[in-house]
Amino acid sequence: MSSAAPEKSFSVRRLPGFGAVAVFTFVMLYLPIVILVFFSFNAGPSQAVWEGFSLQWYEAAFQNRQVRDVSLRSLGLALTAASIATVLATLAALGTTRVGRFPGQTMIYALINQPLMVPEIVTGIALLIFVAAIKVQTGYDGMGYLVAAHTAFCIPFAYLSIRARLETLDPALESAAADLYASPAQAFRYITLPLLVPGILAGFMLSFVISLDTVVITEFVKSAGQDTLPTYMLGQLRRGVTPEMNAIATLFLALSVMIVTAFFLITRTRGR
Amino acid sequence: MKRTISLATAALMGSTALAHAEGVVNLYNWGNYTSPELLDRFEAETGITVNVTDFDSNDTALARVRQGGHGFDIVVPSDTYIPTWISEGLVQPLDPEIVTDRGNIEERFVDVPFDPGREYSVPWAWGSTGITVNTATYTGDINDLGIIFDPPEELSGRINLVPEMDSVLALAIYYVGGESCTDDRDILRQVRDMLMEAKPHWLALDYGTVDNYVAGDFHAGIGWNGATMRARLQNPDIAFGYPQTGFTLWMDNALVLADAPNRDNAMKFINFILQPENAALISNFARYSNGIIGSEPYLEEVMREAPEIVIPEELAGAGRWGVTCPQEIVDIHSQIWTELMQ
Repeated sequence: MSSAAPEKSFSVRRLPGFGAVAVFTFVMLYLPIVILVFFSFNAGPSQAVWEGFSLQWYEAAFQNRQVRDVSLRSLGLALTAASIATVLATLAALGTTRVGRFPGQTMIYALINQPLMVPEIVTGIALLIFVAAIKVQTGYDGMGYLVAAHTAFCIPFAYLSIRARLETLDPALESAAADLYASPAQAFRYITLPLLVPGILAGFMLSFVISLDTVVITEFVKSAGQDTLPTYMLGQLRRGVTPEMNAIATLFLALSVMIVTAFFLITRTRGR
Repeated sequence: MKRTISLATAALMGSTALAHAEGVVNLYNWGNYTSPELLDRFEAETGITVNVTDFDSNDTALARVRQGGHGFDIVVPSDTYIPTWISEGLVQPLDPEIVTDRGNIEERFVDVPFDPGREYSVPWAWGSTGITVNTATYTGDINDLGIIFDPPEELSGRINLVPEMDSVLALAIYYVGGESCTDDRDILRQVRDMLMEAKPHWLALDYGTVDNYVAGDFHAGIGWNGATMRARLQNPDIAFGYPQTGFTLWMDNALVLADAPNRDNAMKFINFILQPENAALISNFARYSNGIIGSEPYLEEVMREAPEIVIPEELAGAGRWGVTCPQEIVDIHSQIWTELMQ
């Protein structure tokens, strides 16, 4: 990008202090996380006094039944919610880009992306009231509420990345397929969908991570015995945090990094 | 002793066989506060499975339950919130047919202001707010709030207060001779002046101070007994003082919700935690006392004689419950607090 620019043109990189600001920003972003990871290996029970290397807190975390339960629940929930959200977001993206402009289109964008704009606490309280009313009426208190809430919350994240991908696809490709006697279904199956896969995968992984992270909504919607990893971690705060929390957070972090890396590798090969 | 345990185990093993399918009970409690061993034992004894769900604050718990449709059976709020739970009809009286062992509650915890006569609640865990001191630095009387409010030379600039308005102001008011929620302007003015004068001697107003005491960043402060014990276990110089002019007590209590779907199971669980050997499991896990007579023999060694857990007899009378003050008093407290935090 910048190679095409003339020599003397404006570049952020040549502003005085650019390097210092960049380094400062990265340190502020990552130093706390590095410290958190560091103390997860502490042999002592402290977050500030290093007493040597040990894996005891990881062992404690793995042996903690509640941690195992909430982790599995979080993963299951994220997988389910992200899958549903991705399917719905794909349909929504096709419906809003593969058609001519229609009245109310902007309104629909806004509606789909609403969870991004509304503060999470507002959504949380609204869901609390709504879900409580349904629970009282139906008596059902299973995971369905959390799946629905997480799905709704994840849709805009999936939608944005899928739509971004769709907009870079040339509609002429689909016209070409139609010219070669492909039915609309075939054109979608053999042309649009394969080209869209990187966007769909990106949307899925983003949704997965978002669902995994969501605290406030889960806290208000969860029924008995439905703690997820983040609400479990939140619940620990009053009692003071031990390095066991650091260990759990580190594993959580590693999982997120792995997903993002996998996503990066997939999109790099598929996107070519 | 050994034999009793093995007999009990045998009895438990036997009962699990006919147990199961006895249903569930849903416990809504603070995070990291419920001993897994306690739940296993209850399940083995009754066949009832306990589902634990965490909350992170009294307000969250109250908001969830007020809304209805929560599905919880038992909740464990703090003492100052219990009058609200009761007056709003969110909880039900304990069933004397099932909860038969309320007599196991320590005498001093029966006629508590938040639930006189223990009609609704039983103790889960309790503690106190007092003084944390490093006795290597300060060798005087640790039960004297002068350490904080009129600090000696050696502690000046090394003091921390937990930023809890209610706790700090209550201790300060007791120190100058007032009562909780007093509307005596002279007392309140005295409290304000004293705090403002003491403030330059303080280093910080922070939570999460166990590490700081261990590492020697803080040498004295207002803190909680459980946190102080954790600090002492890592640094034997740390001690907990009970201000003789008055210190505050807090207690989390288990109650059965009015719309509990598994009411009888919940009552069984309440009676279960009234048994000393079970209450001790709560304490061993949460590191706080439980208020049940006879639980000491079942406590872990470190807790049984811990000076942070066992209040010295001559000071026990100075402990007072936190009180929710009328709004106009809260406003004055807030003003003092805001000025102090600036």
